[in-house]
Amino acid sequence: MGEKLRYAEEGEVHLDFHGATNTTIDFIIDRFGVEAMDEIFRKVGRDVYRSIHEDLVAGDTRQLVEHWRHFFTREDCDYDIEIGRDEIVLTVRRCTAWHHVARLVGTPSPHFCDQTIRTNEALAEGSPFAFETTITGPGACRQVIRRR
Amino acid sequence: MIPSDHFTRFYNEVFKFLESQGEAELEAYFLAISKNQEKHILELIQTKGLAGMEEYWSHIKVEENCDMDIDRYDDHIELRMNVCPSLSKVMDNDAEPMGRYCDHCAGWIGPILDKTGYHLVYDVISRTEPRCVMRVFKDAAKAREAEKDVKLLMGWPGHKV
Repeated sequence: MGEKLRYAEEGEVHLDFHGATNTTIDFIIDRFGVEAMDEIFRKVGRDVYRSIHEDLVAGDTRQLVEHWRHFFTREDCDYDIEIGRDEIVLTVRRCTAWHHVARLVGTPSPHFCDQTIRTNEALAEGSPFAFETTITGPGACRQVIRRR
Repeated sequence: MIPSDHFTRFYNEVFKFLESQGEAELEAYFLAISKNQEKHILELIQTKGLAGMEEYWSHIKVEENCDMDIDRYDDHIELRMNVCPSLSKVMDNDAEPMGRYCDHCAGWIGPILDKTGYHLVYDVISRTEPRCVMRVFKDAAKAREAEKDVKLLMGWPGHKV
């Protein structure tokens, strides 16, 4: 519960994994449709990130915020987090993942950012919160979590 | 963004879905990942051979935080993964690990080595222990001989064991 991260990785960062994520998204959608990809992201949100999900269900956003800080900093993203009374806003001005994939393959999958949108939705499932994730430009987004 | 640190746990979910769709789908995915990886390693192997492999995996050892030893000889290269960060993360996971998670590694490396004329001997040892030994030979006969010593030999698309 709270600010302690279930997965707090350290050491080097292997950004090429984002390229494999991009390949995976295209592969799954081409063969099984976008619904299958969405369901996999849903499992990531509910099962892999069970600890954050359970915190949100209990009304606690602290681990989510710490997760954002830890990993967006590790990946050297240009971002900030604004914690207000009624909502928390993560503004990503430069997403390292998107730009790394753009360098590798030219144009990331049009569904690349579904990993954020769908995983966020799953994190908030059954919780008193709702996510609003808006893509604001190439490799940029605004993620808002607020009470329903 | 799913952090690159958490790719392996995402990968694990993808494997579980594909396994539920059948073996052919899992193999098709290994080949898609293999194709993706060609941009990182194929030219190194084609131009530098075993030295190119050493260069690639030395880079991976650092970036993926592997506890791994790499020894290159005249006729082969040997990678001993003492602690595999990939399987370690999948096992340290609130989601269920896919039982054949280790299969993906030979699944993408094997097809690339087939294309370049090298011979892979991949000893996973155990699918529940985060360690393995990978050897790549120039000579097919030496590879077949080395296969006799392994604990759990791994195959890949187009190369069943």
